[in-house]
Amino acid sequence: MEFKVPIGPQHPALKEPISLRMTFEGEVIKHADVRLGYNHRGMEKLAEEKTFIQNLYLTERICGICSHSHTTCFAQGVEKLMEIEAPKRGLYIRTLTAELERVHSHLLWLGVAGHEAGFDTFFMYTWRDREVVMDILETLSGNRVHYAINTIGGVRRDIDEVQRKKILDSLDLLIKRTNYYTDIGVNEPTFVARIAGVGKLPRETGIALCAVGPTIRASGVAQDVRKDDPYAVYSELPFDVCTADSCDVLGRVVVRVKELLESYKMIEYLLKNLPTGPISVKAPRKAKENEVVSRYEAPRGENMHYIKSNGSDKPERLKVRAPTLANYPATLEMLKDGFIADIPLIFAAIDPCICCAERVVQMVDGRNGEEKIVTLAELRRYSIDYYKKNPIRKEAEWPF
Amino acid sequence: MNDLEIIGIIKDGLKEKALDIQNPAARRIFFRTDIAHLREAARFLKEKLGCDYLATISGVDKGENFEIIYHFANQFACINLRTLTLRSLPHIPSICPEIPGAVLYERELQDMFGMVVDGIPDPRPLVLPDDWPANNFPLRKDWKFERPPEKIPGGK
Repeated sequence: MEFKVPIGPQHPALKEPISLRMTFEGEVIKHADVRLGYNHRGMEKLAEEKTFIQNLYLTERICGICSHSHTTCFAQGVEKLMEIEAPKRGLYIRTLTAELERVHSHLLWLGVAGHEAGFDTFFMYTWRDREVVMDILETLSGNRVHYAINTIGGVRRDIDEVQRKKILDSLDLLIKRTNYYTDIGVNEPTFVARIAGVGKLPRETGIALCAVGPTIRASGVAQDVRKDDPYAVYSELPFDVCTADSCDVLGRVVVRVKELLESYKMIEYLLKNLPTGPISVKAPRKAKENEVVSRYEAPRGENMHYIKSNGSDKPERLKVRAPTLANYPATLEMLKDGFIADIPLIFAAIDPCICCAERVVQMVDGRNGEEKIVTLAELRRYSIDYYKKNPIRKEAEWPF
Repeated sequence: MNDLEIIGIIKDGLKEKALDIQNPAARRIFFRTDIAHLREAARFLKEKLGCDYLATISGVDKGENFEIIYHFANQFACINLRTLTLRSLPHIPSICPEIPGAVLYERELQDMFGMVVDGIPDPRPLVLPDDWPANNFPLRKDWKFERPPEKIPGGK
């Protein structure tokens, strides 16, 4: 006998609204389906009405966790359209922020993974250490979440000797802690037993379904935009692409912990080799008619912006593809033949960022497009009236 | 494999089916194909150039036509395959038999531009709400959102 169970859009296991519709046979997932669209903000349409510099602030708000990823992707695309080049020091600071963001995002994810696996000590440890990175980002940019450090043509804030020293000092602590997490992730038997073999994504399936980021790297594919298509100053940085061959949640943990260590290496290099000079160039207001494809390796995978300009100060089209959207088909595949108890773990393992994946439609309220404010008393009266008029049906159907 | 070698392979393999090959920046290749040869071109990119990975599909409203850009990538370059379809008859073939991961992007095209993807394995709406009015395609240039005037309850 099969059961259909909706998970979400509001569910304790999910941190953001998304609806997973599962078909179970006993405890085993037989079919998984996903329904998107609970977090739409109409950003692509809105972007066509805003100037390039306004759009920078709009793209910053696509996502809270990878806010720097979207602005960098947008800014480097627009810089190509405007035929300007950001100065070296600006690019170094941009890359530095990007790597610090990756550290904070991966530490956050490690905590979530620990929490979903029922290992809350791990969650509290990683989130405590994440505060160190958040403090660094705050000293660097003035903000904890939306750093707003990018501008078209470079960055907005320079870094001084005191900040540089502070970041380097904090790094030692982070490296020490991350080595400890590596030890836990590989050697703690209960944690490993919970995550090993869960959410299998074979290499070929992952490739066929166009998965990205740590999800595909954990299936043994060394795909990383920073290496394949280096942007900013990644061609000068010493780092390795981290992969794992176990194709499961354990692999995804290992890949992210390894990436943390690579990021520390890069941050250290960036700070020790910071060139002198200006941090930004003045950007023109308009861009000639052209198009550009900008790629960026966000913490969750490849982020792609397609920007088309039409000679004015506004883009003709801005297409945003966030990594989470690319990982959905693969996630549905991972869920198949898993257990109910594994759903949060598998779903969390792609590090889903639903506000990133959904930003497409302008919001229109209700059936007729009207917005209306209803008081609680009116709502209560409406519900009582509604059920008086519509008696409860005996043979109620599931809404599938 | 550098850009010139990739362009050479595309020219040899697709011959007159690959039009307007451009290389505007390092590791960026654009070319156009007729809608009739779209699936063949996608299969060619996958088999001969190792572009298993389709990053996304972008739609652009160009007035009488819609332009659809398939952003493929391998480890050497990002290869962008563009094609045009008529606005009055916006049919495009599904490339899901070649690239199974394309389904979400094709569903997005159907929602946003009102294109009809022939042979799509899963034609349900992806991002628009279930009660979205029919024939409203938000990313078409002639679609405008008008916010209803704000009414303050109890106000004048």
